[in-house]
Amino acid sequence: MSFPKKPGGKALDVLQSLPRITLANLRPEPGAKQLERRRGRGQHGGNRSGRGHKGERQRGTRPRLGFEGGQTPFYLAIPKYGYNEGHSRRPQYQPLSLKRLQYLIDLGRVDTTQPIDLTQLVNARGVTVQPLKRDFGVQLIDEGADIFAAKINIEVQRASEGAIAAIERNGGVITTSFYDPISLGILIKPVPFFLRGQPIPKRMLPGEDMVLYYQDAEKRGYLANLEKIQQARLALAQKYGYILPDISKDELYHMLSMRKDVRQIFFGLSPGWVVNMPEKKILKPTDEKLLKYYSS
Amino acid sequence: MAASVLCRRTAALCRTLTGMSSSKTVLPSSWLLLQTASYNPKPLKLNLHEPYVPDKDSEKTPEWQKTARYDRKLFGRYGSASGIDPASLWPSHEQLDKMIAEENEWHPPLKVMLKNIKDREKQEAEQRLAKEKLIAANMAKMPKMVADWRREKSETKQKLKEEKARRAKLLSEARERFGYTVDPRNKKFVEMVAEIEKEEKKKKKLMKRRLKENQVAAPVTPPAASSSS
Repeated sequence: MSFPKKPGGKALDVLQSLPRITLANLRPEPGAKQLERRRGRGQHGGNRSGRGHKGERQRGTRPRLGFEGGQTPFYLAIPKYGYNEGHSRRPQYQPLSLKRLQYLIDLGRVDTTQPIDLTQLVNARGVTVQPLKRDFGVQLIDEGADIFAAKINIEVQRASEGAIAAIERNGGVITTSFYDPISLGILIKPVPFFLRGQPIPKRMLPGEDMVLYYQDAEKRGYLANLEKIQQARLALAQKYGYILPDISKDELYHMLSMRKDVRQIFFGLSPGWVVNMPEKKILKPTDEKLLKYYSS
Repeated sequence: MAASVLCRRTAALCRTLTGMSSSKTVLPSSWLLLQTASYNPKPLKLNLHEPYVPDKDSEKTPEWQKTARYDRKLFGRYGSASGIDPASLWPSHEQLDKMIAEENEWHPPLKVMLKNIKDREKQEAEQRLAKEKLIAANMAKMPKMVADWRREKSETKQKLKEEKARRAKLLSEARERFGYTVDPRNKKFVEMVAEIEKEEKKKKKLMKRRLKENQVAAPVTPPAASSSS
C-alpha cells in the first residue's frame, strides 16, 4: 500500500459511531457476579433456613466459645506457664519475602538503581510497618530465594541466612541496621516529620540485647567490621555453593557501596538539619555545641 | 531499573527458546516494553496562599497555639512566611544540656555496652563453672559416701540384732533364775541385770589382769632365754 494506514483503523471508526456508554449499555462479564445465598427463601433455603433442628443451634442460644457444658474447659484446665509472658513487649519485625521483593521490582515499584531503604519499601506500599505496635522494622525471609534475580543494595532490620545468600549471589549488598522507634516513625513517614519543623534526630544505638546481633558479620550488621563482613561473604558463598561476584568491578559499585552512617536516618541528610518543605531548603545549625551533639 | 532485570530475564528466555524450539518463533514486542509503575501520593496541602499564623499577643488565641511546638509546626508548614525565627527550632543550651545528660544516662556508648555484656557473660560463666565444679566434687565423693552409708546401715542393723539377742538371753536367764517369765520392766529383773553386769565386769577385770601377767611374763622369758642362750 502506498498511502499510510490510519492508526486504529476500523476499530476507531466503530468506536466513533457507537452510542455513548451508559449504565444501560453495560453488563458484567459472565461469571463475574455470583448470586448471593439467601436464607429462608424457596424449597431449599426455606423451612429451618439452614439452622438445623430445634435446640440451641436453631434457637441461637449457644454458650460462649470454649464452654464445655460446665466441665472445666481446656483453656482454664491447662496451667499457665510463661511462654507468652511479656509478648506485647517483644520486638516484632514485619516479614518481607524475596518473592514479594522480586514482585515489587518487576512491577517497577521499587527502584533498583538506588539503595533500597525502608522508606522506599513503604513508599512502594510493599510493606506496612507500625512502630506503635512494637514493630522495629522489616525482616527479610528466604521464601522465593530460588527465583530471586535482582542486584540491589538493600537495608533491612533482620535477615535470614538464605535471604542474605540469595541477595549476594546476584551481586547485591545487604545490611542489617537498627532504628529505634522514634527514628523508625520518622523513616516510614518522612514528609509528615519534615512538616513538624523539628531538626532530624540522631539514631540511637541498639540496646544491650540487640548490640551483639548488629555487631555480627554473619548477619551483615551495620556495626560489624568490614573485613569480617567480606570474609563472611566468602564463607556464605562457599556454604551455599555459588561464586561470589566481585562488586568492585561493577558499574554500580558506587551505589552498591552506599551505606548510612551509624547515626544517620536518611541518605544525604545529617542529624540536626531542618528541612523546609514549602521553600525546599535545608537549614543547618551553626552553634558549636549543637554541632558537637549532633555529630557525636 | 526494572529494565535491567527484565533484559536479563528476556535474554535467559531467548536462550532457552532458541535452544528448544524452531526458528519460527518471534519474540512478542510487549516483553521489551519497560514496565514502570508509580504510586500516587496524597497531594500535600501546604495552604501557602492563606496561611493561618495566630496572633501571639491577642487573648483570643488558644494557649496551645502560642507554644514552641506549634511554632515549629508553623515553620514546617509555611516556611519563612510564618515569621518564626529558625534559630528557635533547635534546642536551647539548657535543653541541650538536659538532652545530653539524659542520653548519657539512658544510652551508653557502644564500648560501655560491650563491656557490660562481657562482664555479665563472664560472671554467668564463672557462676556456671563454680556450680559445675561443686557438682563434680560432690559426685567424686559419692562412692565413698554411699559405702559409708551402707556400712553405717549394716552396723546399726547389726547392733539392733545384738541388742535383741542380748535381751533375749537376759530374759531366758531371768526365766531360769526366777522360774517364770519376768517382765523386763520389773524391779527384780532390773536387779538381776545389774548383778549380771557386775559379774561380767569382775570377769573382765580378771581377764585383763591375767592378760597383763601373761604379757609381762612372755616378753621377760624370751629375752631371758635369748640372753641366756
